[in-house]
Amino acid sequence: MAAPAIPTIAEAAKRIAAKQLSPVELTRACLDRVRALDDRLHAFVHLTEERALAEAREAERAIMAGASKGPLHGIPIGLKDIVDTKGIPTTCGSKILQDNIPDTDAACAESLAEAGTVLIGKTTTHEFADGGPSFDLPKPPARNPWNTDHFTAGSSSGTGAAVAAGLILGGIGTDTGGSIRGPAALCGIAGIKPTYGLVSRAGVAPAAFSLDHIGPMAWTSEDCALMLQALAGYDARDPASADRPVPNYTAALGSGIKGLKVGVIHHFHEVDYKVSPGTQRGIDGTISALRELGAEIREVQLSPLQDWQACGSLISITERASAYDEWARTRLGDFSERVQRRLMLGALVSGVDYVQAVRRRRELRAELKAAMAGLDIVLTAAAPGEAPKIDNVPIWDVFDRPSFTIPFNVAGYPAMSICAGYGEGGLPVAVQLVGKPFDEATLFRVADAFEKATPHRNARPVLA
Amino acid sequence: MPADISDQTLDFLLARAGLDLTPAQKAELKSVYPGIAAMAERVRKPRGIMAEPAHAYGFNPVDLGEDL
Repeated sequence: MAAPAIPTIAEAAKRIAAKQLSPVELTRACLDRVRALDDRLHAFVHLTEERALAEAREAERAIMAGASKGPLHGIPIGLKDIVDTKGIPTTCGSKILQDNIPDTDAACAESLAEAGTVLIGKTTTHEFADGGPSFDLPKPPARNPWNTDHFTAGSSSGTGAAVAAGLILGGIGTDTGGSIRGPAALCGIAGIKPTYGLVSRAGVAPAAFSLDHIGPMAWTSEDCALMLQALAGYDARDPASADRPVPNYTAALGSGIKGLKVGVIHHFHEVDYKVSPGTQRGIDGTISALRELGAEIREVQLSPLQDWQACGSLISITERASAYDEWARTRLGDFSERVQRRLMLGALVSGVDYVQAVRRRRELRAELKAAMAGLDIVLTAAAPGEAPKIDNVPIWDVFDRPSFTIPFNVAGYPAMSICAGYGEGGLPVAVQLVGKPFDEATLFRVADAFEKATPHRNARPVLA
Repeated sequence: MPADISDQTLDFLLARAGLDLTPAQKAELKSVYPGIAAMAERVRKPRGIMAEPAHAYGFNPVDLGEDL
């Protein structure tokens, strides 16, 4: 492991503002790293090198002229390839959309462009944000930069790998059952699934309409806060968009967490599905660190993880089958084998099963609200352990093991994965922090305090 | 909800869904049916007729055309 050579967004923003770092130099450094490493990582499916350099030059010109757009101006980013980008291929990782070039930008792409970011390219995704690592698609799956024999998790696999390896400083992920938090966990970065409705879904291919979230992934939680500031806000194009004021997500960073009340859902990761020893050490270490920083730790009891998994999976399977029904009927063989299997499942879920799941969802959400009364955040695992080998990822993981992340898609609550150390195999382990609806600011405050009090952000993966 | 599914029932569900599967895909789908059945049982609670689904909705300004 070596000290980070690539700055965080916050560091780069300060240096750019002080005219000590050129957006053009920063962009060239990222592109150089892409050229040097991406033949092994497969983090990108499409590079926008010329556009990136043009945007970087324009950012530099504007900043030198005193017209900075803020901390994201001149920052190199990537967009998951299910995010529509005007004039740039958006394939959703599928043979079906190989020739798709949208004529408009997705809302999140628009927001980041308005904030002055520099688009390096489109990042690898599982096909239509589902299925797992597939080798029967036009592009190979992304590899984990901590060890390229290992999985990144998904479906925002390319963004996770690219951020961890320093190919970009931040990027967009989407999360229907854990597709931001899973890659963040296995790649050792920070990723937040915001409250449902906080970030517009307009222009992003659906996985499951009522579970889909868009959010930032970056090396630190502070960087995620800076990105979310640009992404959050009402958008009439998304029927689920929340019309409410957007707070300042970085205002409370550095103010400490003394007196904050943190609930731990021990039974999720110690009873319902036991995590690896390395992950358990990471979680225990996080709890100790938060206690030393002045937080009060409490115990939280919810319905078993399997109940949340059943609810979320039935909704996800059915909504996905509905979204892709036409292609499933007419072009099933054009999907990867993994996604074919997911789409087939839709035939087994009845309409009554689906509505019972949606009724259960209301009950589970009420349960979490009651459990969090008097608490500021709750905490559990983000993933069961370190990244598995990429050729050892189960086909039917939806049945094989419950997800630690899907409960908070079911509830719509904001949830974040941050690095909690390293396991026996030298790969990252993670912890998941969950806030109250629209209280992302408290999540960032806790995560930032933890990251700055521990050494886990000091080491980047080194690819030989 | 039965924990397994007959070939005839599976064929009916696939035909209704419009999915044309190979024999191997059908066998695989049949093998995971108990998992779906178990999930369906988990969400089926004694909740009475008044329990609302999560996505019961209210009209917002966009639905009413008030923001146009």
